[in-house]
Amino acid sequence: MRTYVVKRLLIAVLTLVGMSVVIFTLLRLAPGNITDIIFESAGYVEEGDRKRLEIELGIDRPVVVQYARWMGDLVRGELGKSYRYDLPAWAIIKPRLPVTLELAVLALGFSVLMGVPSGVMSAVRRGRPSDYVLRVLSLAGLSMPSFWLAMIVILVLVRSLGWIPSMTYVSPFENLGANLAQFVVPALAVGYRSSALIMRITRSAMLEVLREDYIRTAWAKGQRERLVVWRHALKNASLPVITLIGIEFAFLIGGLIVTETVFNLPGVARYLVDAIQWRDYPIVQNLTMLIATVVVLANLTVDLLYTWLDPRIKYGQA
Amino acid sequence: MTLPRPLIALALTAVLAVLVSVVAGTAQTPKYGGVLVTHPLSATPSLSPHEESTVATTQQASPCFNNLVYFDPAKTQESVDTLIPELAEKWSWQDGYRNLVFFLRRDVKWHDGKPFTSDDVKYTFDMVRAAPDARARLKVNPRKLWFDNVEAIEAPDRHTVVFRLKRPQPSLLLMLASGYSAVYPAHVPLAEFKNRCVGTGPFKLKENKPGESVEYVKNPDYFVKGRPYLDGIKFVVIRDRSTQIAALQSGQLDVAGSGWNRTNAEDAKAGAAKLVMVERDSNVNDNVLINYKRPPFNDRRVRHAINLALDRQAYLIGPRQGAATFGGALLPKPAGVWGLPAAEVTKLPGMGDAAKQKAEARRLLAEAGFGPGKPLKLTVSTRQLAIYVDTASWMVDQLQQVGIEATLEQIDTGVWHPKMTRLEYQVALNLTGVGVDDADAQLFENYRCGSQRNFSGYCSEDIDRLMVEQSQTVDPKKRLALVNEIDRKLQADGARPILGWGKQYYVWWPHVKGWAVHDNSIYNVGRRQDVWLDK
Amino acid sequence: MATTPEALTLGLPHAAADGRPWWATLGRFVRKNPLGAAGAVLMLALIVLAVLAEPLATHNPVRTSNRVLVAPGAEFWLGTDNLGRDLWSRVVHGSRISLLVGLVSTLLGAVAGGMIGLLSGYVGGKTDLVSQRAMDIMQALPILVLALVMAAALGPSLTNTIIAISVVIAPRAARVVRASVLAIREFAYVESARALGVGHVRVAFRHILPNTFGPFIVLVTAQLGGAILTEAALSFLGLGIPEPYPSWGRMLSIAAAEYAQKAPWLVIYPGVAISLAVFGTNLLGDALRDTLDPRLRGS
Repeated sequence: MRTYVVKRLLIAVLTLVGMSVVIFTLLRLAPGNITDIIFESAGYVEEGDRKRLEIELGIDRPVVVQYARWMGDLVRGELGKSYRYDLPAWAIIKPRLPVTLELAVLALGFSVLMGVPSGVMSAVRRGRPSDYVLRVLSLAGLSMPSFWLAMIVILVLVRSLGWIPSMTYVSPFENLGANLAQFVVPALAVGYRSSALIMRITRSAMLEVLREDYIRTAWAKGQRERLVVWRHALKNASLPVITLIGIEFAFLIGGLIVTETVFNLPGVARYLVDAIQWRDYPIVQNLTMLIATVVVLANLTVDLLYTWLDPRIKYGQA
Repeated sequence: MTLPRPLIALALTAVLAVLVSVVAGTAQTPKYGGVLVTHPLSATPSLSPHEESTVATTQQASPCFNNLVYFDPAKTQESVDTLIPELAEKWSWQDGYRNLVFFLRRDVKWHDGKPFTSDDVKYTFDMVRAAPDARARLKVNPRKLWFDNVEAIEAPDRHTVVFRLKRPQPSLLLMLASGYSAVYPAHVPLAEFKNRCVGTGPFKLKENKPGESVEYVKNPDYFVKGRPYLDGIKFVVIRDRSTQIAALQSGQLDVAGSGWNRTNAEDAKAGAAKLVMVERDSNVNDNVLINYKRPPFNDRRVRHAINLALDRQAYLIGPRQGAATFGGALLPKPAGVWGLPAAEVTKLPGMGDAAKQKAEARRLLAEAGFGPGKPLKLTVSTRQLAIYVDTASWMVDQLQQVGIEATLEQIDTGVWHPKMTRLEYQVALNLTGVGVDDADAQLFENYRCGSQRNFSGYCSEDIDRLMVEQSQTVDPKKRLALVNEIDRKLQADGARPILGWGKQYYVWWPHVKGWAVHDNSIYNVGRRQDVWLDK
Repeated sequence: MATTPEALTLGLPHAAADGRPWWATLGRFVRKNPLGAAGAVLMLALIVLAVLAEPLATHNPVRTSNRVLVAPGAEFWLGTDNLGRDLWSRVVHGSRISLLVGLVSTLLGAVAGGMIGLLSGYVGGKTDLVSQRAMDIMQALPILVLALVMAAALGPSLTNTIIAISVVIAPRAARVVRASVLAIREFAYVESARALGVGHVRVAFRHILPNTFGPFIVLVTAQLGGAILTEAALSFLGLGIPEPYPSWGRMLSIAAAEYAQKAPWLVIYPGVAISLAVFGTNLLGDALRDTLDPRLRGS
């Protein structure tokens, strides 16, 4: 088991390193760099001035040198400075993190709260109309672009309730009520999609389990049907759900990006889009590595949890 | 029996006195207090006006600074006649408009308490004009051109500054009044101004959250006694138009409208009848760049055909939602000072009957060798932003209607100006906003041979000569005649066809008073020291 | 858990072992999988819309006019946008773009990934290790982020969008095919083919590859919906398919920013189009998976 953990950790680190190379290269493939954008904003181009700015920012050095510098900084915990705002990258990312985190956590929470019960119900009532309805609803969640759902929701809320997305972010420590009012709708919009996936996995796992002998035995023993279903089946269905949550992290980020944009929430996901358009290399690189690290760690945790929870599963093969 | 004359006089005086006092009483006295919340056009890359070229910066930085002279917020049309003193108490032209002397105020302090002197003025403008002995260097210097004509800046004593010019240039005074021409303190390093602000202005920077908001608080030591009225101003960045509108309607914003079109403004007002809506012209225009140096666009017939194909009326209705003003190279009257007379504007290419003009365009193209069998193929380039893409799509369609096979190319923002400067395009849709409604600024920047922003590669010695001549002309009538002559020639040549000049909109709640909106600029109203809230 | 080759062969109606005519098998498919049939109908409608765009559209989708922001009615079935372009025609032509981008990028990614998976699974050893890690790396990044950076790197164009999305799909395809290959590689008939002296390439392509078709098709239909959604998101963020191609995703972005309140039809209909298209592929994909890959049945 220990060797397995160590091996997985090593692979995770390797994956992250590989990713850093990919991100780094892709970014520099994009035409123009921050100096171009700065001059673009100024409305003219003065080649001499621009070159001077490049040198100052260190973008004129060979690519390999820049990469080495970045890695060196990262290892030391130095996240560099934003090219655009000339502030430490951490100073820009830090206030935005809680927003995205809150949105992600709430969204995942909603997705589990909505997905698991509906998956169970769908499995239990298999073949009946309610099963089809639930399956269609969940499939609809997977089919709608999350930003479109968000837009429609805003449209409806504005028209019927006169509600608008808030202009400024209110921290939960300042005013929990206002904060929740801000986050509930976007979290639901993002969570709907994930809940669809969770519902499907739960349903499938439940169906598998409901066929198991020991469930039938428990049934025969006369325990109340609901207790049987919930306790035994859920415990075994939890494994795939946990796996899914790990995988879902990656999808979630995509949903967060567009949802933060539509709902005007100042989170890191939305800021990433800005930073890409500004070729703010330090921000893009470090943010992407942050996201990747979170995803890799999430997957790692899930894998380890999996092995620990179900010793029957062996790893090391296909 | 008639009353004796003295009695009648007395009665009349009494009545008059009562009337006057009644009128005076109803004229409002500004109230002090309150924080005004509004949204800027967008987040500003920095708080340093000298290093940026977007109105987002002048909006969010102007409350902090002062200029030597400024345009009177209360007068809607900016001109040399509406200049008011700020840091300079008095000024005078000498030696036939070759030397400009400013007599500075003595009671001004920077926000950090240090006194303001003539050295600060010299420091600032030596920096902007990139003087060889300037103490600071701007990494990005968009308006160096404005001060090309300055030979030297002298500060003979702590409260006098002299700009010595190479040749007469009445326009210099106006360029110093632009929102971009703030005076910086010599004792604060330039790098500080990216995210902080030390100025002399009516407001002190309270908090700057880059990309999110900029907040100001009243400057209690402001040199204009009794100003500002507000306790503070807050600019909150809201990216989405509908959210801006909704925020205004719900009262979260006091003023909104930066970047709005007519539909947005009408939507806002429709949702809350009490709102006050103001529509003004602006000195921002959509124009078409045609690459002079690339065949077949060096053929005047082709250029003219393109110009004729773009029906300005359709432009007005579609891309502009019914709100634009037509004109030549300079902002047309009555909003602008230098524009061509209305009668001439209606005769510009693209303004007449659409069908006839398109037919004429086809004829010209045929003459130049293009036709159904051999269509002219071209690419319309534009920046990758929604408003540009929309207008460019419209352009593509108009060109296709005269048989030109036009396609759209979206250019990434970062490489737009480099591509334009290197003339790597055929036809492009461009947006130009000039800091001040002045012939020098407009013409030199955009039409002079070799100017950095002369993206079409247009070059005419004749026009260049006329430009310099008008720049030195002191008599306003003569100068206007010269400017109009230049404008006429530019339009006939198809130097940079102007699609139209945009309008600007502001919408605010009735409790907001004194919010200035000017007719011929968007850049020079940001001081906001006369704004007050009637609450 | 190894399944026999028979179970993995294509379960297409006409290959049924019981010798019934194909339409009877089709009828059975429809009855057993009503949702799948519905999905197939939606997909068919989408294809018809895309193929017959010209006759079905009422106006020229890129022709601007002075009839801006007109509400849906007799003349403009779904209304017009801010440049006076007919929304119905744009939606119809947009189906072409979405289908094109979705199909091409999915196929491209799936085939490319499939080749890598085939190679990786068949050859094994170091090649397998290296390509596995490479695929892991590509997968660790969220789809949209990777596509965003790629789109920024390559610039917004039709081709680049397709490339960006296929790059994102490839690792998933590789993983599926590799798993299949690993399972099949052990079968007796493969070993006997090798024993008979059949070359590696032949074994790979003639014996192994056809048996991965089942999971492969399931993957393609599963990813197709995702591809359409990713394109929509990219276009929404401004990095996808540029003008003048009417892309559903981009129609939403401009509408959202400007006219959502005044002209809600601009927001509603392109989104409905996207949702229906993806819904159809998902339904069909589910049904296909139930039929072709019994191991995954039950979802």
